[in-house]
Amino acid sequence: MSAPMSDLFSLLFAILVFPGGLFALCFGLVLKGLDRRLAARLQRRVGPPLLQPLFDLVKLARKRTLVPDIACKPLFLAAPMAGCVSMALAAALIPIPGVYDPDPLLGDLLVVLYLLAVPAVALMIAGSASGSSYGAIGFSREMALMLAYEGPLLMVLATVAVKTGLAQGGFVTFSLSEIVRYQQEHGAYLADPWMWPAVLAFLAFFPANLGIAPFDIPEAESEVLEGPLLEYSGPPLGLFKVMSALKAVVVLSLGVVLFFPTAPDGAAGLLVHLLKLAVLSLAGVTVLRTAIGRMRIDQAVLFYLKWPEALAIAGLAAVLALA
Amino acid sequence: MSFIARISQRSPWLYRINAGSCNGCDVELATTACIPRYDVERLGCQYCGSPKHADIVLITGPLTLRVKDKVLRLYEEIPDPKVTVAVGICPISGGVFRNSYAVAGAIDRYLPVDVNVPGCPPRPQAIIEGIAKAIDVWRERL
Repeated sequence: MSAPMSDLFSLLFAILVFPGGLFALCFGLVLKGLDRRLAARLQRRVGPPLLQPLFDLVKLARKRTLVPDIACKPLFLAAPMAGCVSMALAAALIPIPGVYDPDPLLGDLLVVLYLLAVPAVALMIAGSASGSSYGAIGFSREMALMLAYEGPLLMVLATVAVKTGLAQGGFVTFSLSEIVRYQQEHGAYLADPWMWPAVLAFLAFFPANLGIAPFDIPEAESEVLEGPLLEYSGPPLGLFKVMSALKAVVVLSLGVVLFFPTAPDGAAGLLVHLLKLAVLSLAGVTVLRTAIGRMRIDQAVLFYLKWPEALAIAGLAAVLALA
Repeated sequence: MSFIARISQRSPWLYRINAGSCNGCDVELATTACIPRYDVERLGCQYCGSPKHADIVLITGPLTLRVKDKVLRLYEEIPDPKVTVAVGICPISGGVFRNSYAVAGAIDRYLPVDVNVPGCPPRPQAIIEGIAKAIDVWRERL
């Protein structure tokens, strides 16, 4: 009786406090603060304080919630919650090399793949439930973009799963812990030139998934007035901010775990992991979004169907051919 | 003042309403107040696209008859607590357009204005000072 109970508590702790929920949220907010600060420095501005995203959240929690008359109220209010919960769960699924190993009970790479789709779906539901025409435009753009970037993501995950599986004598491994363990013993995939197409495809994937320029097309505030988020105010809008902070941590740590998980054990490992996330986010997100403007939706979809898709297929083919 | 109140006042989001302005003040708002030299983001400000995200409303232009109802409706859509700043001389008195048949009149006849920033157009420093004063007003209402 006591053993399953303690298991349940450790699972809940993993989802709500570390490394999911609270921990991922705090780090996600710091990442956003760093991002805004560096973007300001790149434009030679002073920029907001580092904790600005936290101030924004606290402020939003104290504002009034408005629900439009024509909105579908239950869906409108449930969408941000579903997004937050899915991302807290996904954060608990991803190992931190040398520090945290997720319980196999929670799930593996396939579950992460499904959970990663939930925030985009939550945004689509939010856009369509709000009853606003800008929300509907955001909905259709989000869906087009998602269809374009899910292909490369799927292929990249398959590449890593097949490579690890083949190396271990099977065919595929969907366990993220196994993927981390294999790389810690045999060197990171980042060092293997045959994996570089997959790495590049993943680097191209995450700006679209995180909704960052040049792929922030569904939430473009100067065109569709923040699309799905247009009708949200107060706490539900804050929940969407929480969701995107969690998502940044989930997607970035997924990248680190898939390609570069080598780290020492214990507290140093945690520090190294967070450092990698910060570098990846500043180099891959902030510099990119400061340097280039927003793409049109047709350009973005074509881009994803051409380059990351081709790279991802090439990566998978290389892994299969070399086996 | 509680800790929560202290940190939530550091995130005033700005929303611009153009009530028939000649665009002079809008250019001052959109470019001058945002360019590196006069960065308002260091006060925690952020321009937002939706009125429902806004805390501080910046209104420019004389209220023309054509946009009057729309401006009033937009104002209603901003969730409380909110602060209104009239930017430029036009929303304050009508400015050079004050005797026009197409102008509904000074904006404070229709909605409460908290801070006036006169000028044609006002200097960026004046706009930033107006925003800083609006933050003080907003603090009382939070």
